Amino acid sequence: MSRFVTNPMILKELRQRLRERRSWLLPTLYLLVLSGTVLFAYYVSVDEQLHQGQREVQGADIGLAIFLTAVFTQIILLLLMAPVFSAGAITIEKEQRTLAGLLTSLLTAPQIWWGKFVAALLFLLLLLSSALPLLAISFAFGGVEPMQLVRATASTVLVLASISAIGLWCSANFRRSVHSTAVCYAIVLALSIVTAVVFGILVANWSSHADAVGLGGPPAYVQAPLFLNPLYPLLSMLDDAEFQRFVYPTSSWMLFTGIGCLAAAFAMRRLQRSGEQL
Amino acid sequence: MIEVEALRKTFRGGRGLNGFSLHLESNELVGLVGPNGAGKTTLIKILATLQPADSGTAVISGHDVFTAPFAVRSRVGYLPDVPGLYQDMRIGEFIEFFADAFRLNEPRRSAAIRRALERSGLADRAGDFVEHLSLGWKQRLLLAKTLLHEPMLLLLDEPATGLDPLARIALREQLKQLHAEGIAILISSHILSDLEDICTRIVFIADGKNVHEAEPSSYAVGAALATVRCEIQFDGSLDAVDRVLAATPAARVLEKKAGELLVELPGATKEASAFLQSLLAAGITVIHFDARGPGLEERYRRAFGAPQP
Repeated sequence: MSRFVTNPMILKELRQRLRERRSWLLPTLYLLVLSGTVLFAYYVSVDEQLHQGQREVQGADIGLAIFLTAVFTQIILLLLMAPVFSAGAITIEKEQRTLAGLLTSLLTAPQIWWGKFVAALLFLLLLLSSALPLLAISFAFGGVEPMQLVRATASTVLVLASISAIGLWCSANFRRSVHSTAVCYAIVLALSIVTAVVFGILVANWSSHADAVGLGGPPAYVQAPLFLNPLYPLLSMLDDAEFQRFVYPTSSWMLFTGIGCLAAAFAMRRLQRSGEQL
Repeated sequence: MIEVEALRKTFRGGRGLNGFSLHLESNELVGLVGPNGAGKTTLIKILATLQPADSGTAVISGHDVFTAPFAVRSRVGYLPDVPGLYQDMRIGEFIEFFADAFRLNEPRRSAAIRRALERSGLADRAGDFVEHLSLGWKQRLLLAKTLLHEPMLLLLDEPATGLDPLARIALREQLKQLHAEGIAILISSHILSDLEDICTRIVFIADGKNVHEAEPSSYAVGAALATVRCEIQFDGSLDAVDRVLAATPAARVLEKKAGELLVELPGATKEASAFLQSLLAAGITVIHFDARGPGLEERYRRAFGAPQP
C-alpha cells in the first residue's frame, strides 16, 4: 500500500504537468470564466427581482443563484478539461517512446496507472479548490449552507475521478493522444447529452399518461438514464424546488464509482499488455 | 545467464520467432545479427519481459521470463531501438525517477545516482534539461539509466542507431568496459564492424530461426562456412609455390605475384598450419604468414546471401 503513496510516478507526473504552459494558463482562464459567470448571475438575479417589483432585493435568492450558477458552470468547465489531463496521459508515453522504460522497470501497471490518475485528478482538484472562494461568495448573501458546498464539491470530485478513469482507459487503448482525447470527449458528451435526451423522451412518454402526472417527480425507471449524467448528482442535492424531483443521487454516485472502477481495471489490464504495442 | 529454447512468437504480419534458441554465459558479449524482420527486436523484447511468447522457454539467471517478470527486470537492463527520454525533465530528476522506479533504497539509491551521472559524464549538468543534450549524450544518459540498478545482463537493441562516429566509438568503449566489469551483454546491431570489434560471439538469426553461430576473429567457424584466408610474403621462386599449390587442390588463389601470395583454404587453424608446413617443406622462406578467418561482413554475406543488384 505504501508503494501507492510513495509512488515515484506521482512526483514525475506532477513535475512535468506543472512545467507545462497550460499549468498556469488553464487555471487563469478557468477562474476568469467562473468569475464572469458569477458576476453575470449576480446582475441577472438582482435585475430579475427588481423587475418583479420587489422593493428590497432578497440576499438569499441572490446567494442561491450565484451558488447554483457557479456549481454548474464549474462542473461543465471541469468536464471539458478532464479529458485533456487524463486521455493523453498514457498515449504521451507511447508517443515519446518512454513507456518501454516504465514497463521494464519495477513499477507495476497499477502503480503506473495510479500515478497518472492521481496527477490528473490533483490538477482538477487544484482548479476546484481555486474556485472555492468564488463559491463562498454566496455565503455572504445567505441562502446556501456550507454543507451544500461540501456535498456539491464531493459529488463533483467523484464524477471527475470517474471521467479521469475513463480518460485513462482511452489512453491505454489508443496509440495517439488525439484519438484517445477525441473518444474521451465523445464519451463525456454521450453521458451529458444523450442521457438527457433519452430522459426527455422517457419523461414525455411518462407524462402523456394522465394518471401518472401529479404523483410528484418521474419514477426511478424514467430517471435511470440520468443516473449516468455527470450533472445528476448535483441536481438531486440542491435545495431548489426545481431539482427536488431528482431524488436518487446515491444510485448515480454508485454508478459513477462502478464505471470508474471498471475503467481503471480495464486500463491497468491494457497497460500490462501494452508492451506488445511498442 | 540466458537460456532460450525453441522460442516461437507469431504476429498477424507473419514475422516473429520460429523456434529460436540461444544460450548466453555470464562472461559473454554476444552480437545478434540478421536482416530486417529477422526477429531480433522480438527476441529482445521477449527477454525484456515486454512481450509474451507463443511457446518455448526463456530463462534469465534462473528466472522464467514469463512467470517471474519482476525478478527478471531487476537483473536486466534494456535499451530499446528507439528509446525515449522525458525531454522536460532535468537530467538529475530523470536519473532519480528511475532510481525510485527500480526501488533503490538509501544509501544504494544515492550511490547509484552519483555513479550514473559520473558514468554518463553528466555530473556537472545534472540541473540541465534533457532536451538540451545532443543525441550522443542522450544515448549516454540512457545507458546510465539502464545500468542504475546494476543489472547482470544488458539487452541492447540497435544502440548505435543515429549516433555520429565519435559517439559510436564512445559507446563501443563503454560496452567493452561494462563487459570487462562482468556484465553479460546481448546486442543487436546492423553495424557489423562495431560488433566485430566488441563481441565475443556472434549469433545469426533469420526468419526467427538460428542461422549460424561463429566466433569473430577466429577460425573456429561452422563447418559449412569455415574458410581461412592466408596472406603470405616469401622469398623463393614462384615455381616452388606453384608446386605446393598443385599439391593443395582445395586452395583458392586470390592473388599471386613475386614474393606475395594470397590464398583461401577450406578449414581453419589446422589447415592453415598444414599449408605453412608445405611451403616450408618446399624450401620456401616464409617472411610473413597471416591467416585469418573471414570477417563478419563476409560471414554475413555468406549466411544471408549477397544483395541483389
